[in-house]
Amino acid sequence: MSVVNDAREFATAPAEYFGHSWHAMHHLERDELEELQLHAMRLRFEELRDRIPVLDRLASDQRIDAIDRREDIVGLLFQHTVFKSYPASLLVKSKFAPITKWLDRLTTHDLSQVDVSQCRSIDEWLDVLDSETELRVAHSSGTAGTMSFYPRGASEWRQMMDGIKCGLFQFSDPLDERDHSEDYFDLIWPLFRLGRSAITRFPEQALPVILGSPERLHALRDGRLSSDGMFLAGRLAAAEARGEVDQVDINPALIERRDDFVREQRELQGALDRFVNEMARELEGRRVWLLATWNTLFNMAQAGLDAGMESVFAADSLVSTGGGSKGQALPEDWEETVKRFMGVDRIQHAYAMTEMAALNRMCEHGRYHFEPWIVPFVLDPDSGELLPDEGEQTGRCAIFDLMAESYWGGTITGDRISLDRSPCTCGRTTPHAARTIERFSDQRGGDDKITCASSDEAHAKALDFLTDRLA
Amino acid sequence: MAAVIIPAVLRGKVVTDELVAFGGRSGDQGFLAPDPSRLLDRLPLRDPAGLRDLQELPFDEIVAFLAEVGRNLSLNTNPVLREAMDQAEGFSDATPPLVRSSFEQLAGFFTEASVREMADTAIGIPYLEGWVPHHMGDGRVAAIRAIGARTVHIVAGNSPLISALSIIRNALLRSDAVIKAPSNDPLTAVAIAQTMVAIDPGHPVTRHLAVAYWKGGDTSIEEALYQPRNIEKIVAWGGFASVTHVLRYVRPGLELITLDPKRSATIIGPEAFASETAFADVARRAATDIGAVNQLGCVNARVIYVIADAQDANRLGARIYEELQQLPEHLSTPALRFDPELRGNVQALKASPDFYEVYGGHSDEGAVIVSQLDEPVEFHRALADRVANIVPLNDISGVLPRINASTQTIGIYPDSLKTELRDTLAMHGAQRLVSLGYAAHPNMALPQDALEPMRRMARWVVDEDCDPAQITPLWATAATTAGASS
Repeated sequence: MSVVNDAREFATAPAEYFGHSWHAMHHLERDELEELQLHAMRLRFEELRDRIPVLDRLASDQRIDAIDRREDIVGLLFQHTVFKSYPASLLVKSKFAPITKWLDRLTTHDLSQVDVSQCRSIDEWLDVLDSETELRVAHSSGTAGTMSFYPRGASEWRQMMDGIKCGLFQFSDPLDERDHSEDYFDLIWPLFRLGRSAITRFPEQALPVILGSPERLHALRDGRLSSDGMFLAGRLAAAEARGEVDQVDINPALIERRDDFVREQRELQGALDRFVNEMARELEGRRVWLLATWNTLFNMAQAGLDAGMESVFAADSLVSTGGGSKGQALPEDWEETVKRFMGVDRIQHAYAMTEMAALNRMCEHGRYHFEPWIVPFVLDPDSGELLPDEGEQTGRCAIFDLMAESYWGGTITGDRISLDRSPCTCGRTTPHAARTIERFSDQRGGDDKITCASSDEAHAKALDFLTDRLA
Repeated sequence: MAAVIIPAVLRGKVVTDELVAFGGRSGDQGFLAPDPSRLLDRLPLRDPAGLRDLQELPFDEIVAFLAEVGRNLSLNTNPVLREAMDQAEGFSDATPPLVRSSFEQLAGFFTEASVREMADTAIGIPYLEGWVPHHMGDGRVAAIRAIGARTVHIVAGNSPLISALSIIRNALLRSDAVIKAPSNDPLTAVAIAQTMVAIDPGHPVTRHLAVAYWKGGDTSIEEALYQPRNIEKIVAWGGFASVTHVLRYVRPGLELITLDPKRSATIIGPEAFASETAFADVARRAATDIGAVNQLGCVNARVIYVIADAQDANRLGARIYEELQQLPEHLSTPALRFDPELRGNVQALKASPDFYEVYGGHSDEGAVIVSQLDEPVEFHRALADRVANIVPLNDISGVLPRINASTQTIGIYPDSLKTELRDTLAMHGAQRLVSLGYAAHPNMALPQDALEPMRRMARWVVDEDCDPAQITPLWATAATTAGASS
């Protein structure tokens, strides 16, 4: 097999390439891995440049016509804000034709013939894209008042789930000595069954590969989490933070639905205790997979323990988490609480984001290992220049997701990471990042610097203060 | 490199002992300064009657002393100032040519003509000089005088001129100032105070100025200092943080004057496209409003509303970008540290040519983003480092919802449009309307942020002469008509 063909299979279907072994994925020699990654990046660039106008324009601007070395890709990485580089008013006014045209420039899937003229909401628009195209857009949570639309295709989702499945046996079969092809999980999903954000798409997309049948999906709530509801909530919260609520344009059709959104959110929160009871009753002693943020895990476990339940599920069950505590203060021993309730002796931590078709798991030594189809880079946080390969480097995380074949997988993220490419003490050969990962946007602002020019942040703080006082 | 030592200057004495280290975070240089807790007993003027020496000083002598200070604020002859400028480069967000240019402008603030105009426009010199009689309708003669106050100034550091302005205002008002230096300009106020000490350490103006650095919000200093027995007023510039630190100390007897963080806007009428000459003129003026002192000020242009279609707006954007690159080095340069978040945001817009045209933004030289629809970019509040956003509008009504109490300056072209819009813009919250091209060229004698800081900084004391022959005394009024209002 030629290197190019090898690289294509490695990038497009890594689970297959590595014989569905997560152990194999992380034990390729570093040189060999980097060689494969370089060839795969070259392949993606050559095949996508002419088909993705935004990439072509960037390549022309940067005068980059070939990927000869790994670092050549750095000039071609998209800013993560590219995926929300449309005027938000178009979304507010439900003008989906220009948004579709905008999105068309970011994907090889042809959207030019899709008729979105009848769409009156984001939900309806995504209904049309789901049913008439191969796109399965993942949008952001919208908390900053804007919404990114990430054009992942159905085939990439499928490969992503294949890849993710390999890592589900990190604890139960660390050397991948068994065949897991017919091995399916009962997924405990403390959210809506359906949705289109990067997170809420998960069960729908995981179903064929990881769950096997719809009966294995145990969602807190039936139905679909409304993307419009998320957009509206985020927009109002951002405007409230700036004291500009009266200036927020809102689609009148949505205002009518606001009460529904609020009620659904409330029900979702209130339903957790009942859900824990149901799950314990239905799935007691069985192997399950529970995937949630820290705070949700802890709240579920606490509810279960309070009701006298302990070690509820089979010992080879898996608890996976990421994304921090979402602002909730958790006790230091929250992991112990979760393990005690679930009946597992370990928790799988993962580093994930919309722009990576992967869950990058933490090893026994507290390092997040990037899946082999994710090529990580560390950039100087100020200049954006690539930092050296050697040693542990701290800066802005950029990644190239080789799995992406219908969109461009290179993104400069908003995360600050510390990355090391040398083999890890755990024996894995893939690049690994330290446990602490922060958002750059959370750490702006100097120390005791005073200026007369206003900043967004200052206003947000001012309003937090006012709302605190007025509440 | 040896650490920079920044003295405190306390009422004619330069203090450089008991140094402690400050700052040094987020890539900025740290420095050593006297331990503020050891200065506490010397920082405020404890006895309010201690202002007597200043009150007795004729106004002309204050002006003459300030003018002498100005003559000494020359980089060629004043080694302290020279050193402050050299060191300022380690703290400032401005580039060395701009820091130099700001320091060169300091002297001009102190000239006799300049300080007289400030005193006369803002207060009226007779009110500073003595008691000004007013013959009131009820027969009394009221003499009014603007008296100095013991004041803490928490100054902003994005321009050294703010420290100079605070020192001049204090002297003209015959007030006593404790200046809390900011970490982005810990040097200017100290250098000016040192210059005063060199001229005359015993001069009342010198003796009523204390400059020190402590970390904003340090309660061990602020709880002790911000007491009505020490000070009567606090002037707080800048960010919300500096104001919140102070709010808890405000009480009867301690007044807070806030100069809030602001941003500015620009409005360009269709006349800009009437001729090639007008077009070129507008582009140069707009570029100046954007680029002056690297857009570090609240007065700088950021979002520029143009009454035009997208095509004309693009043409103007391209030209403004060119003009921005032509601005002289003493006025504007590529940014010292281009905000990486902003860089990412600007780059991302290049992905959407249907919605945004981006001129420039290649490296750190600045950019002009032209919205193709009638709304600003999502990150318009973060525009900085010579990045502006042109927004084309059909008519002026689209601007008004964007104007509010945090809109300080609006540069407008042509002047006739300014006159036409001024009542409306003022009602929406705008504070200063100015000919396009002059946004970053203010006259400090004029009101600021829609208030008159100097009038607020003075204490307006009244002395009333009441002659019973002129005003019926309360003790002699009939019971039915008794009342203070008669």
